Amino acid sequence: MTIFARLDQWKESGAISSEQHAYLAGLSRHEPFSIFFELNVLLYAGVLAFIAGLGWTVTTWSRQLGDVLVLAMLSLLLAASFWYCFSRAAAWSRAETPSPNLIFDYVLYFGSLVWSVELAYLENRFHILSGQWDDYLLVTAVLYLLLAYRFDNRFVLSLGLSSLAGWFGLTISHWPSRQDADYRPYAILYSLTAGAAGAILHRFGLKPHFLSTYLNIAANLLFWALLSGVFQSHGYGVWLLALLVACGASLAWGLARRQFSFVAYAAVYPYIGVSSILVRDIHGDSAVFSYFVVSGIAMLVMLILLARRFGREA
Amino acid sequence: MRAYRAADEEALRARSLLKDWAGQGFLTEAQYRHMEQETACDLRRTNIFLRIVLFFFTLVIVAAVVALFFTTFLSRTSWQNQGPFFLIFAALSYAGAEFFLSGARFYRHGVEEALTACSVGFLCMGFEALLYSGRAQTQPYRLETLVPTAGAILSLWIWHRFGLPYAFLAAMLFVPWIPSYWTSSQPAQHLIVAAIYSAGLIAMFAIRAPQRFTYLDDGFSIAEALLWLGIYLAINLQVSLLDPRGLWLGIARSPAEFPKPFYWTTWVLIWFLPPAVLTRGLRGKDRWVIAAGLVAAILTLVTNKPYLGWPRHTWDPMLLGSVLIAAVLYIRRWLAGGEGGIRRGFTAQRLSGKDKVWMSVGTTALGFVSPEQITQTSQPANPEFRFGRGDSGGGGASSDF
Repeated sequence: MTIFARLDQWKESGAISSEQHAYLAGLSRHEPFSIFFELNVLLYAGVLAFIAGLGWTVTTWSRQLGDVLVLAMLSLLLAASFWYCFSRAAAWSRAETPSPNLIFDYVLYFGSLVWSVELAYLENRFHILSGQWDDYLLVTAVLYLLLAYRFDNRFVLSLGLSSLAGWFGLTISHWPSRQDADYRPYAILYSLTAGAAGAILHRFGLKPHFLSTYLNIAANLLFWALLSGVFQSHGYGVWLLALLVACGASLAWGLARRQFSFVAYAAVYPYIGVSSILVRDIHGDSAVFSYFVVSGIAMLVMLILLARRFGREA
Repeated sequence: MRAYRAADEEALRARSLLKDWAGQGFLTEAQYRHMEQETACDLRRTNIFLRIVLFFFTLVIVAAVVALFFTTFLSRTSWQNQGPFFLIFAALSYAGAEFFLSGARFYRHGVEEALTACSVGFLCMGFEALLYSGRAQTQPYRLETLVPTAGAILSLWIWHRFGLPYAFLAAMLFVPWIPSYWTSSQPAQHLIVAAIYSAGLIAMFAIRAPQRFTYLDDGFSIAEALLWLGIYLAINLQVSLLDPRGLWLGIARSPAEFPKPFYWTTWVLIWFLPPAVLTRGLRGKDRWVIAAGLVAAILTLVTNKPYLGWPRHTWDPMLLGSVLIAAVLYIRRWLAGGEGGIRRGFTAQRLSGKDKVWMSVGTTALGFVSPEQITQTSQPANPEFRFGRGDSGGGGASSDF
């Protein structure tokens, strides 16, 4: 039975009104046909292409154009973008706020990227921060996060979180005795900070729909950091334990909130970690392959049962 | 021939539409609950994340089983003699997929999908081992074409039977390998690939027309869009010059390897094709074909200068970005001028919750990774002046200068 036959049936049985029937049948025939998604993708591509060209042009021609012209141009773009956003935005609300129009989010994203280009140019030419890039990144992260919360923009929220991650990483890079292992605790600290910040803001009802962005970024970074500890040849026990704890938390959260990306993290990351340890001590190809057959089947059965119990909906 | 009953797939489609309409507020919660009960079917589905993980673990198991078998029983056997065993594993994988489909009623569940993917891989490896190893010199050269041909045919069959869109893509990816065994002429290879895709497109037109607005329409739409894109990529020589195989082997290719009439004919065609595809997509209100037309149009704009041999300028991406943004603004304004924001059956308003979900996922992922991609390395014009690469996010401003 096609969707049209079903709609006719539901109309006859009184499940839907005639108006609903007409509208839904129209939608099923693509009348009207929404190009909302396509326009958004084109806008995103347009903004990225423009910013890439802007950065490239400023890089190549800054000497010929002169600092004044470059800075004036960048400042003009920045001011115009932010003026547009502040003048068009609806009053701030804790809850999810729809964009006033199609291009609003992209103007803000554009302005945020121009800010980065301009600040980088200023630092390069005038050494305002004397090489203290971590300070710049922290300021930028704070600005992005404020803008994201003011205008309810996930693009800029992700930019803010990535800048914050950069700040964590760059701070350590100044240490003279820095080793790769030094990054691990800071990556974990960043993950926990981002996750906790997202949870606290969610608790206070401040843009609660941002929580999934915080948690997905935090979870992936946390799992990568813990995995890197598990991959060490010595002293990996603590990291394995931490990985399993994180796995349990991710699984519990994913099942409780029906966020199956966290269930997927809880399946894949620990499997890689545990396998890496077990395979180290197994000698012979046959034994290694046998391990993967047995463990793979065990994981598969467990996941199918899990999918039957919790994850039916596509 | 289709693995699932039409009634079941129509029910799944109706279920998906109902969920979307309820999410958009076109149906009340009570209406949705009532109508949803009438769309029940016995196919077992799962969500996208578990589907991916199940796919991954099935691949791990199959690869480990096959590796274990070869290590245990065939470790001293020549590659050529391993061929029949690969073919047996291909058959077993496919049989496994059919078992999960008919026995467990899996539908897009990851497990049966991974098994079909394995069957294609093993089939190609089996033919590869049987046909060429050890006796490649004595075999007719053209016999090698059996490997991609078999891969393409099995992928096509899987697309038809299981309805997996990426199986159609896999079939298309096998096609460019086929003519390379027939002729060494580059123009001939391009023409053969474009001709095969064109034949597929004509067949698609014929089989698609009666399926408009049925559960099959989406699958056919994706297949048609892929064929359009395949034809475009086959004729855009600048894109084909970026052949990853050549780049990997360090073989630089140049437009000079093509005869001039052929080269300039393809230049005309890359300007002709995107509007044609876009027109077809817009007329049929076909989302995937529209997307293929847009991708082709952007690729034409990007590759036009290299085609003509003109130098690139640093502001070219800005011009491209401006064109895209201006086009969106014009279309939005034009649509907004219509009654209720609708003109000629098109609207810029969001009518599906799926758009919102994809936008949400996209903004999170792209917002986090894009700053690393958009800034450029320094240009030779000013070798002493370096300006950010954006190693750590923040719009590319965190890098050194």
